[in-house]
Amino acid sequence: MTRKLYIVSTTVFWLVVFGLGMTSALWNPVEQGDAQAQGKTITLAEVAKHAAAGNCWMAIRGSVYDLSAYLPAHPSPPDIVQPWCGKEATEAYNTKTKGRPHAPYADELLAKYRIGTLAKVP
Amino acid sequence: MSRLRTSSLPVLLLLFVGLPVFWAFPDELPLWRATGVLLGWTGAGLLLFSLLLMVREVRLASSLGGLERITAWHHRAGMAAYVLLLAHPLTLAAAGWAESPELAWQVISPLSENWPVWLGWVGLILLMLGLATTFMSRLAYGAWRWLHSLLGLGALIGFVHILQLGISAGGLLALATAMLLLLWRLLRVDLGAAAKPYIVTSVRSVAQSMVEVTLKPLGVPIDAAPGQFALTAFFRGPRYQGCGEFHPFTISGIGDGHELRIGVKALGDCTRRMQRLEPDVAARVHGPFGEFLKDVPSRPLLWVAGGIGITPFIGFLRQQAVETPTTLIYLYRGEPDAAYLDELASLAKDSPGLALQAVATGTDMPDMNRLLPEFAALANHECYVCGPPGLIAAVSQALLERSIPNERIHFEHFDFR
Repeated sequence: MTRKLYIVSTTVFWLVVFGLGMTSALWNPVEQGDAQAQGKTITLAEVAKHAAAGNCWMAIRGSVYDLSAYLPAHPSPPDIVQPWCGKEATEAYNTKTKGRPHAPYADELLAKYRIGTLAKVP
Repeated sequence: MSRLRTSSLPVLLLLFVGLPVFWAFPDELPLWRATGVLLGWTGAGLLLFSLLLMVREVRLASSLGGLERITAWHHRAGMAAYVLLLAHPLTLAAAGWAESPELAWQVISPLSENWPVWLGWVGLILLMLGLATTFMSRLAYGAWRWLHSLLGLGALIGFVHILQLGISAGGLLALATAMLLLLWRLLRVDLGAAAKPYIVTSVRSVAQSMVEVTLKPLGVPIDAAPGQFALTAFFRGPRYQGCGEFHPFTISGIGDGHELRIGVKALGDCTRRMQRLEPDVAARVHGPFGEFLKDVPSRPLLWVAGGIGITPFIGFLRQQAVETPTTLIYLYRGEPDAAYLDELASLAKDSPGLALQAVATGTDMPDMNRLLPEFAALANHECYVCGPPGLIAAVSQALLERSIPNERIHFEHFDFR
């Protein structure tokens, strides 16, 4: 019984992983423009006004993101991410877990929350 | 078994799974992601519970209902943890599927430069390999034990995976608990810190490929009763080098000076070597465990023994005469395999309450329906079965078909892999 459960669950696991990998490799999404979001320029002072958990903007790699909706879904505990609300958080984003940057998965996820470009400091 | 002892393992399971799940319960996550997180923490709790059940302390084992029950729960909890931990990354990937298959793949892709994901994969694959070995019953015990320890390593790496996700408090607590339990098991059981020192005083052959070894305590003896078993390891002697592995052996007798007699049948590499045991070999004994013939009720008894399964019964009879009518059905392949047969015949002759039915079965499983008494003759009997798993299953089935209630059928396995 246990042996059968092991064989079935392990086989199903690898089939799903393999299927997911293949689907991802063959996936060819239509490019979606975000010209509107790219067009808006936001200053760091404006970002600083959104420094609460429920109203959280961050500046990362020259872009500004509204992460209010995503914050509860972030895997780290709130006290790790929340202090970066309203701030330039590129360094924190690039050096999570012992100096390693976030995964490409996180980059892709982050793009969904982009609301504009960070204004350059003169 | 008392209600407290019956409920001890479910209560512990509830604690080990309930606490992390309660602590990590996600409030505002999307359904798939929340499910993935909960599957991970439930699997982690089950893994910790399974590790706790590897610890073999005499009092703890007794309060949890015996080593056999603990081992069965250890297997079930480990398997359940494995299935849930396989589902954990797949469910997290499913959360990304709504966005795009690419996003779903990146959640679990081992090709992404992401320590938590890498560690998750390593932990899961170690669990996969370690669990595969548990089903290899023909593997030599020594090799099996080392391969089985991959499971412990997989669990530790899984908890480091939690730490790498930035979940410091939960990850640290889980990792520290797992390390403590593994260290406890290694020191107390595998390296024998919980075992007492003994020395072999005599070895006699009782059947083909089976010896009875007498051990004298060198310090405080274990508090054992015949019919219980002890984990025993043999080391160096004048001309003997033991394999040093702890194996369960049933106690077949206890002397006035707390000497233990144990029956050792050659069932693997290590026990085959033990057939050449000699006096003055150093040993360590951990136990006692098991309650097979403890608190035998005052009603007629049916004892069924297969092969080396005769050991607890001979241990009982050497210690005390039966007080109620007792039928002992002793099944063995052939005369050379019939350990203690002459002694049993002598005991039956001197004890009017004991009826011995010795049956040479050959290599085939005997017809239990023909061997066992009919229901009318078994009414009010308490039934005890000891032998290979196939025999226990066949006898239990035949007894149940005779309407003997489940709680009156007692058996004990002696394989703790």
